[in-house]
Amino acid sequence: MNTDFINNIGLTHYLVLAALLFVMGMAGVLLRRNVIVLLMSVELMLNSVNLTFVAFSKYLGLIDGHIMVFFVMTIAAAEAAVGLALAVSIFKRFNEVNIRFFEHLKG
Amino acid sequence: MSADAFLFWFLAIVTLVSGLSVVLLSNPIYSALSLAMTMVGISALFVTLNAYFIAGVQLIVYAGAVMVLFVMVIMLFDLKTDLQAFTRGKFTGAVKIASVGLLAGLVVGAIAMSVGLLTEKTTDNIVTTGAGMESTKALGMALFNKYIFGFEALGILLLVIAVGAVALARSKGGTHEH
Repeated sequence: MNTDFINNIGLTHYLVLAALLFVMGMAGVLLRRNVIVLLMSVELMLNSVNLTFVAFSKYLGLIDGHIMVFFVMTIAAAEAAVGLALAVSIFKRFNEVNIRFFEHLKG
Repeated sequence: MSADAFLFWFLAIVTLVSGLSVVLLSNPIYSALSLAMTMVGISALFVTLNAYFIAGVQLIVYAGAVMVLFVMVIMLFDLKTDLQAFTRGKFTGAVKIASVGLLAGLVVGAIAMSVGLLTEKTTDNIVTTGAGMESTKALGMALFNKYIFGFEALGILLLVIAVGAVALARSKGGTHEH
């Protein structure tokens, strides 16, 4: 058994972890019905990307990845605010947060 | 196993389990709490990467502000546990197979790497060495010199978002009342 993989934590570890989190978020977005859980899955995907940014930033010795994380966090917070406002307005009309009712947003 | 390695594996397992439970639990409030746990785990992973400032911001913005927003909306709606939490659309089966396949592929790849079947050099130890506390200063310098345009754009975006969210939440089901 190669114990290097377990003892020396490298870039690969963080990338695999981020990829696993991203796939989980993707499955959540595609499979869940509840709009709020769907938004939470998007947050999960954004977080996994942030992890990748910071890992690469450390690996390459550049600060730029941290700035990108900063930007992604701001966009994520904004997206959560607008998404939840949409959910509130759909809930007020249909008394339900099922993704099915968002079909009415089609023009 | 060294302390760094133990910390990484512990945090990775915590993050992955709570991330899975975000998607799999049918009660949205449990999903929200699992997501908060995931955020805390990722924040701790940022600390292992010497990104102290980002870790703090992650805790304050995500685990604090965004999760409070989610929990508040869930409480506002008084949502019941959804018995049919998953969609039953045309492509649901394909998506399930693809997700499970991707997850399984990544896990098998990681295991194969650990047994030594995939010879990848993993000696690029990025956890222990690092800049330390000066990284916050470097972040500020980069943010206000190199990325100042993006920073200003984010300010405008936040203003637009605030106005837009209020406008969306005020209008009643899309019809304006005068």
